[in-house]
Amino acid sequence: MAQPKTTATDQILSLNSIEVLYESVLLAIKGVSIEVPRGGMVALLGSNGAGKSTTLKAISGLLKAERGKVSRGEIRFDGKLIGNILPQDRVAMGICHVIEGRRVFEHMTPDENLEAAAPMSMSRQKVNSEKARIYEYFPRLAERKASQSGYLSGGEQQMLAIGRALMTQPRLLMLDEPSLGLAPFLVAEIFGIIQRINKEDGLSVLLVEQNALAALEIVSHGYLIENGRVVMHDSAEALKANSDIQEFYLGGGEGKNFHDIKHYSRRKRWLS
Amino acid sequence: MDLVFLAELTVNGALTGLLYSLFAIGLVLIYKSSSVPNLAQGALTMLGAYVVLAFSHNMGLPLWVAIPLAVVIMFFVGIGIEKVALRRLAGRPVIMILMMTMGIDIFLRGTTLAIWGGSSRSVDLGVSYEPLFVGDMLLSRIHIVGASVALALFVAFFLFFRSRLGIRLRAISDDYMASWSVGISVERGVGLSWGLASIVAVATGVIWGEIQGVDQSLSILLLKGLTVAVLGGLDSIIGAIVAGIILGILESVGSFYLDEIVGGGSRDLIVAAVLILTVMIRPHGLFGRHDIERV
Repeated sequence: MAQPKTTATDQILSLNSIEVLYESVLLAIKGVSIEVPRGGMVALLGSNGAGKSTTLKAISGLLKAERGKVSRGEIRFDGKLIGNILPQDRVAMGICHVIEGRRVFEHMTPDENLEAAAPMSMSRQKVNSEKARIYEYFPRLAERKASQSGYLSGGEQQMLAIGRALMTQPRLLMLDEPSLGLAPFLVAEIFGIIQRINKEDGLSVLLVEQNALAALEIVSHGYLIENGRVVMHDSAEALKANSDIQEFYLGGGEGKNFHDIKHYSRRKRWLS
Repeated sequence: MDLVFLAELTVNGALTGLLYSLFAIGLVLIYKSSSVPNLAQGALTMLGAYVVLAFSHNMGLPLWVAIPLAVVIMFFVGIGIEKVALRRLAGRPVIMILMMTMGIDIFLRGTTLAIWGGSSRSVDLGVSYEPLFVGDMLLSRIHIVGASVALALFVAFFLFFRSRLGIRLRAISDDYMASWSVGISVERGVGLSWGLASIVAVATGVIWGEIQGVDQSLSILLLKGLTVAVLGGLDSIIGAIVAGIILGILESVGSFYLDEIVGGGSRDLIVAAVLILTVMIRPHGLFGRHDIERV
């Protein structure tokens, strides 16, 4: 057994060859090891069903809700083993998982969505100042803060889901497919904000994406998962240059599109 | 028939209806957090009344001590039921959970029958049975007291669901997974809603126990309470209030006319018709939410 001693480390998160079993039979992840450096941004890439979401759920503990469990390997957050900690306590430790499909609280207003995520121990003033900070990141949310969240656009809902996660005061933010179904300029805007929070507050980010092109633009490192295994791990630059990645995940024809995004985000930074 | 009499039927019907609302609020609280109509709410109501009686009649405590004590005890009984019986069912098909609440209902009815027997007891709230004259109308004082309790609870829950804790409960009723993902303990929230529903059960049990005596028949309030909750939309507290008033008036005025034709017993027919028609025509009730579909 590993000793429970906590050691100072540069990794805020480390997964050591974990396996995940669903319903005690289905092996969804077969020995994944990844590391997220403190204050770093790392992407987890791969196709549908490769095991990306399952990996995030293993880290956040949400596997429990789907009758899955980590059957082997260890997960350390900030040096501490977190395998037996309840999901809500992991959030309190500073791990927040923005789940796939946005999943805002549809029948509540964006303002209430943010309040719901604030820890009960947070003071009223702090809740208000945190909300103000999130509205500053996402001015569109401020405009619509009194409308019903279920009727927000997809992009606004994604912003709300991220804002809601930020209310929990995370030190590690895990995002599951934040770009899904969004127009490129919205992806650029949201990724721009994530990058900004990472730089300003030192928030560590683990980003799961099928949109490898956009993801590799903002992260420093990436892992490629296939069939529940990590098949490649390299710097974002090296991954972008890799011919296999280019062929299977980046695609040839999208270069122009990508250029537009970059152009837009640069212009956006000027304007704001 | 004169207008005053019709007005009297309407007002008394509305007051009785608010007493159904009182019951229905308990159902709504649990439905909101776990999407299950709690079939044990009638038995909980009866248990609440018996616990009050145990303190006041058996131990000789005054009612103003007995009722708060019963509130505290029933709060933890509700939390306990959720923790022991329902938590392990989280994520199972709703029918399983429904059957579990039915099992709890039978269990509680059996237990109360074994402990307190089948004879009817009175609560003795001390509310006068002298009718109250408002103009030419005759009103029942205990019904006015009960209706006020229902409205007070409505206001209290209205405010509660705007507090931070209340917002978290609403988040749970919206999306379990998303709630977990931001650190909300769904288990504790559902437990809390059972505790609150059990407090409502004490209030309902005391008022109805005063009106019809405390015995096994108190648990049959479930049928009318459920009808009100369904008509109101199952997850809406304002819905429970409005639907209670509507059902009460329909029952009171409608049965007056129908009883002349069918020769009595039409009250239950009206309740049944309301339940059946609601489910057929408007399954999400008057104020219930339906899933948002964005175009």
